[in-house]
Amino acid sequence: MADELVRMEHITKFYGSVQALDDVTLTVNRGEIVGLLGDNGAGKSTLIKVLSGAVTATSGSIYVRGRKVSIRTTTDAIKLGIETIYQDSALVTQLSIARNLFLGRELITGPRFLNHLDQAAMNEVTGDLLKEVGITKDIPASTPISALSGGERQAVAIARAMHFDSDLIILDEPTNNLGVAETQGVLRFVRNARDSGHSCIFIAHNIHHVFQVVDRIVVLRRGRVVADHIDPHTTTIERVEQVITGAPDQEFVGSAPQPG
Amino acid sequence: MADLPRRSALARLIAAPEFGPFVLLIVELAVFWSINHNFLSPLNISNTLAFTVELGLIALAMTLLMTSGEFDLSVGSVFGLTPVLMWTLFNSGATSLGVGFALALAVAAVVGIVNGVFVTRLRIPSFLVTLGMLLVVRGTALYITNGFPQRTWNAGGHGLARVLVGTFQIGDFRVYASLFWFIGASIVLGYVLTETKAGNWILASGGNASAASARGVKVARTKMYLFVLSAMMSGFAGVISSIRTSAANPNSGTGYELEVIAMVVIGGTALTGGRGTIIGTVLGIFILRVMRNGIVLIGVPGLAYNIFVGAIILGMMVLHYGLEHRHREGA
Repeated sequence: MADELVRMEHITKFYGSVQALDDVTLTVNRGEIVGLLGDNGAGKSTLIKVLSGAVTATSGSIYVRGRKVSIRTTTDAIKLGIETIYQDSALVTQLSIARNLFLGRELITGPRFLNHLDQAAMNEVTGDLLKEVGITKDIPASTPISALSGGERQAVAIARAMHFDSDLIILDEPTNNLGVAETQGVLRFVRNARDSGHSCIFIAHNIHHVFQVVDRIVVLRRGRVVADHIDPHTTTIERVEQVITGAPDQEFVGSAPQPG
Repeated sequence: MADLPRRSALARLIAAPEFGPFVLLIVELAVFWSINHNFLSPLNISNTLAFTVELGLIALAMTLLMTSGEFDLSVGSVFGLTPVLMWTLFNSGATSLGVGFALALAVAAVVGIVNGVFVTRLRIPSFLVTLGMLLVVRGTALYITNGFPQRTWNAGGHGLARVLVGTFQIGDFRVYASLFWFIGASIVLGYVLTETKAGNWILASGGNASAASARGVKVARTKMYLFVLSAMMSGFAGVISSIRTSAANPNSGTGYELEVIAMVVIGGTALTGGRGTIIGTVLGIFILRVMRNGIVLIGVPGLAYNIFVGAIILGMMVLHYGLEHRHREGA
């Protein structure tokens, strides 16, 4: 029943002589939210950067929908349906929500050579998307991003990834610096994305947030995967904390759910 | 937060970046007119418009370039070099005036391309690149002319001269054809910036270049086009000016770059990119030119002009900063 979407195999990454990733293998299935945990410097960010095209792995291979792919730039990743959402950085704050959603894929009306923006259509689709992602407040699509809260910005980025058929949405610390209500909002957006068939990799320092939404937890420690099939429904937070900091953890290694 | 559009139409008008410059221009006009009624005489308006639109053409192109996050200090030098080239070619008998015009504009375009390559490929800040280009281009104009103005008087009646700066009598007003070029350029560039995909890319390139290119926006190519536009508009304005004044001086245009940038930022375009307004720039153009004209008419010593211009720039920056701040707060 599990349908494998992305598989990173034997990924190793050196920065000069410093090894950031050591033979990491990670799979994400369709419609699955994977929580990626680990202490500072454990290699979470590097692993995600390899998958999103921000850095290239020293060795190892990546498969998307069973096909081996080469991801050298963020554009490569986006074309493969892998979208990474960093807090704030992915949006142009001066532009409206609708213009951000359609940036680079603008809807055009009228004679082709004019490239006249179809702002009415973009605003309409944006309005629907904001509802779909779970924003209940009535925010006009023409609102500039700069007027939105941190959580709302995350929602816009998630909505954009959903609309442009990103199969895998990577959220890097999406709940950092957010208040309680905002955090619940973002977690709801993530669940909505999953329910509409998207996969997510969810990275957060706060284990409680991860526990609330993910289907499976993967833990990295010093560049290695030390656990890759922790079920948040049957495991305690304390136990996961032990795994992250380095307590005995053998029981979680080696039998990730296989596709098929 | 995010309740901007629910505010009244009046509140939104006041919050618009163009509102401050608009009020300032009205105040300026009223003050100058109340002190000297000749200020709004057809003759004075006609005279003021003639040069205003020439600088204005450069400012319009600069608005798009600055919105994309770059600026161009070489515009004044290109303004000087282009007509010098055109007249040198024509006077030497090498080309007709029309061909000379086309070749000179092509040289201006090359200046823009070189600016663009240095900024987008080599990633050198546009301040340094265009500062260097300012000197190279000005030096070229001085070198090929030995520092002397070029003869221009045998242009009279030429078709090109009529199209660019032919005069029309509209009532009591004498206007040059360049006014219509300016109006046309304002409309086209205003349309491009606010209504087209190109405008969206210009805004995004200046707002957050890395986010934009991650979405497939061709940031480097967008900026490249704008550097070329800026250089060609400057050359075009230089040619217009030289025909109107019957002078192609290799020194003309000196210092225009700063006046043009001042016009653009007074109008509300962000120096750092991401926000730009053609309407604001048109207001900024008139604010500075009306100031220069009015100050002389009401008897303030012309040498004091820069005090007022500087004060206006500082005052408008405070205003725009305040608006920007409120905007960010989402007020």
